[in-house]
Amino acid sequence: MALEDYRADMLRCTRCSYCKWVPFDQMKSGKFAKGCPSVEYNRFQPYSAGGRLAAALSLLEGRSSYTERFVDIAYNCLLCGSCDVSCKVCRYNIEPLRAMQELRFKLVEDGQLLHQHKAVIDGLRKEHNMLMKPGAGRGKWAEGLKVKELTKEKAEVAFHAGCRMSYDGRLQGIARIAVSLLQKAGVDFGIMGENEFCCGGRAFHMGYRTEFTKCAEYNIGAWTKAGVKTVVTSCSDGYHTFKRLYPEVGSNFEILHMVEFVDRLIKKGAIKFTRTVPMRVTYHDPCHLGRQGEPYAPWNGKEKKIRGQIVVYEPRKPRYNGAWGVYQPPREVLKAIPGLELIEMERIKEYAWCCGSGGGVKDAYPGFSAWTARERIEEAKSTGAEAIVSACPWCESNFSDAVKGNAMEMKVYDVMELVQQAL
Amino acid sequence: MALSKETYRALEDIVGTENISDDPALCDSYAFQWLAETVRPNRSHFMPRPVAALVPGSVEEIQAIVKTCNRYRIKVKPYSTGWYFYGAPQKDGDDTVQLDLRRLNRILEIDEGNMYAVIEPYVVATQLQAELIKVGLNCNIIGAGASTSVLASATSYSGGGPGTIWMGHNSESLLALEWVTPRGDILRTGSLGSGAGWFCGEGPGPSLRGICRGARGARGGMGVYTKCAIKLTHWPGPAQFDIEGTVPAYRTPIPDNFRVYSLAFPSLAAFAKAYYRIYDNDLGYIFHSQFNMLGGDLGPAFWIMYNDPTKTLNDIEEIAQKPEVKKLTEEMRRAFQIILAGRSLRDIEFQDKVLDQILAETGGWKVGRMTEPDLAEFTYLYLSRLGHKHLNMVYAGGYSGTWNQPGTPDYTIQYRPLAEAQLRAEQQSGLLVQAGGDSMMGPGSTLGGGGNASFEQFVSYDPADKESVNAMKQCMRNSMKVATEHGFPAGHVVPYVQIGMTDEQLHQQFAKANQPLVYHLQRKIKELLDPNDIGDRMYSWLPDSKDSQPG
Repeated sequence: MALEDYRADMLRCTRCSYCKWVPFDQMKSGKFAKGCPSVEYNRFQPYSAGGRLAAALSLLEGRSSYTERFVDIAYNCLLCGSCDVSCKVCRYNIEPLRAMQELRFKLVEDGQLLHQHKAVIDGLRKEHNMLMKPGAGRGKWAEGLKVKELTKEKAEVAFHAGCRMSYDGRLQGIARIAVSLLQKAGVDFGIMGENEFCCGGRAFHMGYRTEFTKCAEYNIGAWTKAGVKTVVTSCSDGYHTFKRLYPEVGSNFEILHMVEFVDRLIKKGAIKFTRTVPMRVTYHDPCHLGRQGEPYAPWNGKEKKIRGQIVVYEPRKPRYNGAWGVYQPPREVLKAIPGLELIEMERIKEYAWCCGSGGGVKDAYPGFSAWTARERIEEAKSTGAEAIVSACPWCESNFSDAVKGNAMEMKVYDVMELVQQAL
Repeated sequence: MALSKETYRALEDIVGTENISDDPALCDSYAFQWLAETVRPNRSHFMPRPVAALVPGSVEEIQAIVKTCNRYRIKVKPYSTGWYFYGAPQKDGDDTVQLDLRRLNRILEIDEGNMYAVIEPYVVATQLQAELIKVGLNCNIIGAGASTSVLASATSYSGGGPGTIWMGHNSESLLALEWVTPRGDILRTGSLGSGAGWFCGEGPGPSLRGICRGARGARGGMGVYTKCAIKLTHWPGPAQFDIEGTVPAYRTPIPDNFRVYSLAFPSLAAFAKAYYRIYDNDLGYIFHSQFNMLGGDLGPAFWIMYNDPTKTLNDIEEIAQKPEVKKLTEEMRRAFQIILAGRSLRDIEFQDKVLDQILAETGGWKVGRMTEPDLAEFTYLYLSRLGHKHLNMVYAGGYSGTWNQPGTPDYTIQYRPLAEAQLRAEQQSGLLVQAGGDSMMGPGSTLGGGGNASFEQFVSYDPADKESVNAMKQCMRNSMKVATEHGFPAGHVVPYVQIGMTDEQLHQQFAKANQPLVYHLQRKIKELLDPNDIGDRMYSWLPDSKDSQPG
């Protein structure tokens, strides 16, 4: 696809502004009514999905050209997909999120780069991770764990730790918990260890399609060689990348997030909790597990019209609107923990407010990223919860930074950490 | 055109560097507007590009901007949520700065006892409603739906919707107002003008409601409205809508003291008679002919499709062909929706009986499929919140309203057959969506308490298809022609078409109006309030024959 392929989407946008808000039916207060962090933080119209489509149309029509501002408009967005959900409350023939992603691909192809992204991508090319860390240290998180290395042995299940959990000392414990849970459940699994590569998802979102494809091809090849049939991860970014993006590169592995896996184990009775965790918590839906975590459906078709001008697709096009994301498994796991009370925030599931970590924003616009996280922590606080729980290391990292940076009182956990406490 | 460095710097000094930009693509995102392609050269989707966009944060900043624009003779175009081509700069060649009022986004006060709320421009209807229902109050949400600014509909454009029969038109509900006039004065109208608070639009203090907004509103052409108070009404429903269902088919349980119906009638005469009887009996918390906006032939199939989240528009044809849907389609050709709200169970039972009596007298009936829980709960939420209103764009992304001549019910039913026949004929080309001739939508009343209705013919087209846009433009012209040939006013598209006119063409139209004196009077007002002509022609006036410009 190319940006030009989304010209009709741009022309069919009616600038209704639904993309800026949570779906109106779900609005519970004036305060937590906004859905799009980008336009809230950056204020001007083109920082919304509708505005970005108009700016892109302006570019395609030759009315404007690349400027510092244009580049900022394109990259200063979390690509969280809130706009996509709200737009599609009323529309079946617009893909705002895909169009904005395609705009980034075009910018990268045209050499309109952010130096902050370039540094990260250079790191990815050399060291195969997004944290600009040496590739050689990637497997250290698993030191001392008796777990198969898939470069040496075969297993049907691969556990993918991901860049953040592999390198972030605050979060490595979550990967270790995941490993111990898989071991307890008697799963035959392995890890790639030092040879694990980044999933490529964050490079994709920054607009670097080639680098993403290289990561995908490497990982698919490595898993295939190891006889893997199922990939399990605790990283929601990785989950989305494997589940939704890899099939386009030829992957057909079963993809599971750890919360899905643990939910199954609890329901089967393979995990039994023995301790209470007396805590009031609220759950944050990661964008890539929730609204963007819907199952992949292949499609290679074209637009056609019925009844004169009704725009439909031949064959039927899969509709990604957040309806079928992974929302219940993490909640089921939390509800199964004795003593733990789950209280919901106002913006949840398909209309959850983003953590602020995605879309290359954490790297290029740290102030915007921190503000977005702070907004979410404030929302969590408004519930009376003492902890915000998520299922993505990027969310947790950003929340932890916001809590620390703003001296806020809020504990931050991964679902697996609470599971561990209850065992 | 571009702002001079001096002017840019003067404006930047007011709002700060981060709140002004003259970047071409950024400004184009403000110029991009729905319906632009129907009036702009080469069917462009862009209205004239503003020379800069500003995001002011206070009334003081807005006042300073307006004064600066007077000094440099720059036009000012404010908007709140900014949907509609009225909100953009209007003329090529004018240097216009766009004021995006999104930072003025506070609900300043909800006075429960006196039943009003004080709001800023970027408070949208649902935000306000979400806070109001917590305290047993509600506000009228206009037909354009949940995403619209309450202040804009009260001060600057149309203010009717499904709840208007109970809650009043937002022009009726406008109380005191804070207004930065085009001269840069801050004017406080009604009771606010005498320091007595926000409770009244007419006094003690200056009553300027007619000048501020009149019937249609100045649509951003006469200064900037920065705060207003809006009259509220009681809400006998829950403090929060508990949403069930899967996106987009959200729905919510119907409280015991509510009833939700689609009512159908054997003829337009019976349909109109039911309107009168509903007015007579003070029925209807929500009263709207809503669901046929997606077409008499296709509407019911659409709503059934929409309420199954596994379905898409690809399925609509198959659904429409099902025998039970075909039957429903015929049943709903003359139908409207009504929500009754009782203060008690006895009250709602009484209202239900009265409605049954009206149906018995008119030969009408409750549409069975629409009273089944899925569609009834959907209808209740949809019409209470209007959070799906942009479904009028669902087929291809483009729609325009046509006809829509307001009047008494027996007046409106006279033009409905003409509108239906006209649209059905237009659809034969295949360049417009073929959803059926009757896409007539409108509030049960455009005045609080009833008495005035209208029906807007929704026409859908593909804005990405130039031939379809041309067909829409032709349909707009034809709707005016057919209406006037049969003795009706030209209707809703007139102000749309006027956007594409030159000043001379526009003034010729005003001169031929039934009461051109009004436009001369408005020129006098403009001379007084906008001597440097920094507002655009959304505030309508006729030049003096000796002097084509005010001031």
